[in-house]
Amino acid sequence: MSSYGTVLPTVARGILSSCRPALREKSIAPAFSTFQQVRGAKSNPQARGKGKKDSKSDRKGPREFRQKNLKDMEQHALCDAMRYLRAVEVGREPTASKYEVHIRLRTRRDGPVIRNMIRFPHAVQTESRICVICPPGSKQAKDALAAGAVLVGEDEVFEAVKAGKIEFDRCLAHPDSLPALNKAALGRILGPRGLMPSVKTGTVVDDVAARVEMLRGGTVYRERDAVIRLPIGQLGFSPEQLRDNLRTTIDQIKKDASGLNDRVNKEIYEVVLSSTHGPGFSLNGEFKTDNSPETSALTGV
Amino acid sequence: MVNLFKRMRKLKTILDIRTGTGAAIFPSPTSATKEFPPVTRLHLTYAQKIYNGHQGARHFWRNCLPRLKYHNPGVRMTVQQTDDQNAPPALTIYFAERLSSTASAIVGAKKITDKHAPAPEGGEKTAVVDLKDLSYKEIWSRVQASTGAEEVPASAEDEAERKRLDAITAKAGKDRERIQAMRQAKKDQERMLAEARGEVEKLKAL
Repeated sequence: MSSYGTVLPTVARGILSSCRPALREKSIAPAFSTFQQVRGAKSNPQARGKGKKDSKSDRKGPREFRQKNLKDMEQHALCDAMRYLRAVEVGREPTASKYEVHIRLRTRRDGPVIRNMIRFPHAVQTESRICVICPPGSKQAKDALAAGAVLVGEDEVFEAVKAGKIEFDRCLAHPDSLPALNKAALGRILGPRGLMPSVKTGTVVDDVAARVEMLRGGTVYRERDAVIRLPIGQLGFSPEQLRDNLRTTIDQIKKDASGLNDRVNKEIYEVVLSSTHGPGFSLNGEFKTDNSPETSALTGV
Repeated sequence: MVNLFKRMRKLKTILDIRTGTGAAIFPSPTSATKEFPPVTRLHLTYAQKIYNGHQGARHFWRNCLPRLKYHNPGVRMTVQQTDDQNAPPALTIYFAERLSSTASAIVGAKKITDKHAPAPEGGEKTAVVDLKDLSYKEIWSRVQASTGAEEVPASAEDEAERKRLDAITAKAGKDRERIQAMRQAKKDQERMLAEARGEVEKLKAL
């Protein structure tokens, strides 16, 4: 046994002797040792994160937004939350105070975000003023005016904006006017207010009139840091009205989430109802509890 | 979104809405007696600044009205802030059908009118209370006496919660002092070292 073992080169001896495990373990140890160490480093989770490459990925942080367990969070029914919020908002200007909803998503830090527009069954804003940039006197201009736009035109709009008179909440543009709009260089003024028309946000459209129609009473929302925030009702709304609006919102957000890329997985994690001056109440999905007052009492000022 | 624990802590402030001065239920149509008819509305008017006795009225809005609104969700409450510092702050109480028996005594001989208060409708009778130079607790005791509002005692859980929050606040005060002492000690140490180094430099320069 030992005779051919000494004649053979070390590697071959190692291979041979590996067939007979127990006998010559000590002598084969050096031949295998390097290989085994490498394997160990890969498969051993504790050894991870020590190398340079791993520490870099640590610095980046987790891939997903961290979501705390909601187990300890006190959650409320809609009517109870409304009762508290109405108490906090007592004596405020009823048109100025609004109910808000914050919808928290379980999502990755990178990847596409939800941005869309919604039309509530019960309009939150009383009236949003819309400006349309399109060649004056054209058919689109007339249609836009008929659809309810406040300000229509090209040069006169640019002049007004440059003079600091921004008397509108939304701004649309027709593709024909896009060169003129870019030449006017209004991005500095309109950009920070989120009013600059662009193809990306869907505010540069051919059918201006239809868009105006849709924007009146519509609310734009987008996901920021895994939360979608939007006003959802006036303070005078009844719980039923608020529930309808909330349901519409959640349905649409679910639709948006499923309409994204197949590989992107977004789901709703928490719904928080708040108001202009009030704290946030995490909702438990129920409409009312036994202690809640009559819904008629939660309506009006 | 704001940290979950911060939100949870903030939400504990709803305890202040449930309990405290003004946590009371007005007589409703079902619980009204002959002496105290149901209250349908409240309207408060006060001026923007606190001089000329407008402070208590504002405090009443800040402290008592949320509690009243919480316990009487159906009673409409409006507040009007004016620029007129000379007009007295006033609280208008709207009773259904007739005034309560104590209301006229509380309002007193000096009758005032509040031009900002909405007009009574459907047989409502109003009592206007002059709030000038009253603290919010005095205002509340008058309101309670004139309407016969029934105080809602704090429940056992609320009491326990209040105690717990008070303990946390007390501990926070102590901790703040402790940490400040530590930081001050560290700063003093650093200053001393810097001074000592300065001395050495001076000696070297000589």
